[in-house]
Amino acid sequence: MISLPRIWALAANTVREAIRSKLLYTLLFFAILLIASGVLLSTLSYVESQRILQDIGMGATRIFAVAIAIFVGVGLIYQEVDRRTVYTILSKPISRAEFLLGKYLGLVLTIWLQVAIMVLAFVAVSRATGAPLHGGHAAAFAMTAVELALVVAVATLFSAFTTPMLASFFSTGLWIVGHATRELRDLGARAEVESIRQLTAALHRILPDLESFNLTLEATHGLPIAASDLWLPLAYAAGYVGIVLVAAIAIFERRDLR
Amino acid sequence: MRGREIVRVEGLVKEFRPGFGLRRKRVLHGISFQVREGEIFGFVGPNGAGKTTTLKVLMGLIRPTAGSASILGCDVRETAFRRHIGFLPENPYFYDYLTGREILDFYAVLSGVPRARRAGRVERLLDWVGLSHAADARLRTYSKGMLQRIGIAQALVHDPDVVFLDEPMSGLDPIGRKEIRDLVLRLKADGKTLFMNTHILSDVEMLCDRVAIIVKGRIRYEGSTDRFRLGGEREVDVVLSGLDPELAQHTEERFGAAVRGLGERIEMRVAEKHVGELLGAALGSGATVESVTPHRISLESIFLHAVEQDSSSAEGAP
Repeated sequence: MISLPRIWALAANTVREAIRSKLLYTLLFFAILLIASGVLLSTLSYVESQRILQDIGMGATRIFAVAIAIFVGVGLIYQEVDRRTVYTILSKPISRAEFLLGKYLGLVLTIWLQVAIMVLAFVAVSRATGAPLHGGHAAAFAMTAVELALVVAVATLFSAFTTPMLASFFSTGLWIVGHATRELRDLGARAEVESIRQLTAALHRILPDLESFNLTLEATHGLPIAASDLWLPLAYAAGYVGIVLVAAIAIFERRDLR
Repeated sequence: MRGREIVRVEGLVKEFRPGFGLRRKRVLHGISFQVREGEIFGFVGPNGAGKTTTLKVLMGLIRPTAGSASILGCDVRETAFRRHIGFLPENPYFYDYLTGREILDFYAVLSGVPRARRAGRVERLLDWVGLSHAADARLRTYSKGMLQRIGIAQALVHDPDVVFLDEPMSGLDPIGRKEIRDLVLRLKADGKTLFMNTHILSDVEMLCDRVAIIVKGRIRYEGSTDRFRLGGEREVDVVLSGLDPELAQHTEERFGAAVRGLGERIEMRVAEKHVGELLGAALGSGATVESVTPHRISLESIFLHAVEQDSSSAEGAP
């Protein structure tokens, strides 16, 4: 039976590990530096300088958060096995599913904490330059957080059975492809060969559609965001994360931890 | 007295597939043994014999290819019964960014120790393993001996009935080894059942009630340590000086004694029943008795015999 206190203990410890790690502070420092550098870069343009500033800020938040998610996520399970810390943990009355879910939740909370700090930097820079802030920005950052939960799940899946090196290749590749699945589907739809149309449609269904979480354009241009732009991707992410984590647990359950 | 059966291993087989190869390597060849309540059970074998593999099967870290293993009557693949067992792996690695107190609290939560009892339990254990003074230091600053002691503390944080220790004395200096030995004996005094993987035979002789010797994935000996201490025909080492060489040769032939040394001092190993006659003959010929020492059939001799037996059977194999 799944125990929430045990999962929470593992998650809290994963967050604590990140808080005490110097490496993540370094990454965070560079992310904030890039957000702040938007002030400088926006002065290069006479028009829409505030939009450029916010484009850079939101892009930097997204890229750095994904980089941290993949960088840490791919070693999430692998390192526990490699360093043998998993031996003492799994000798306690804790299932492998609880272990994996605890580690996943811990990393998601860590990444969200980092995003929150980057958002604060974004808000500070926007305020300092007089750039407008509205609900669209909040929605866009919230969707980035949802996307990150999905990226961490994918990295965790790969971490459950392969090395960090391969897992980072797979995860990064999937993230890049995930942002192009709509183009892939549209391209396939125009193909004359039926099998290619079917293949691209199937790939669009299987691979994560990460563009559905991208509301940067709407936020920076002040375009209206419908409620369905939020809850549909949210439901999609919940289902996708669920399936990926079930697969990760199934793989991890069968592994010999040598 | 035979206590309740705590650990039962029946026909356990484990095969690994090294790398991407299709051929499987068999590491455990259908081993069977039992551990009874309240005893210290020594699982002994040379490096690569399959000790740690067996322990990993018992801890549910690897799955058996065939056979069965149970602890407290529960299949080792279950998890709930683990609240009654503790485990110290070989060369344990812990989250070194945590302090001694934090790591014990973390394991206490995982083990389901109620919040109200947690802090008190952690403090008692820190005191018990002699680490109260280092409770707030990060584990990365701990010495090998201190890590081993915090490892024992985490294995005991939920007050388990059975404790599994994998090479608990490995890499420790003599003081560290003595500290761990004392802790093991205190656990036995507290009524715990202990399963100890080791290749240090002197520790086994000192601590264990029963022992199983595993060589190349097969159990070669299983029994009480008293059995090899007391069983069989005892021999005695007799050291004589000034013994007539002719009498020495005669003694060798008559009693089947193994004679070592030349000149003034001669050492003989004879069956205990011949000692009186040998000493009478030696003293009668004017020799001096330097020492008479009963020779115990040691675990080492049984261990070496098991390893040699395995090597010779492997050589004789087609």
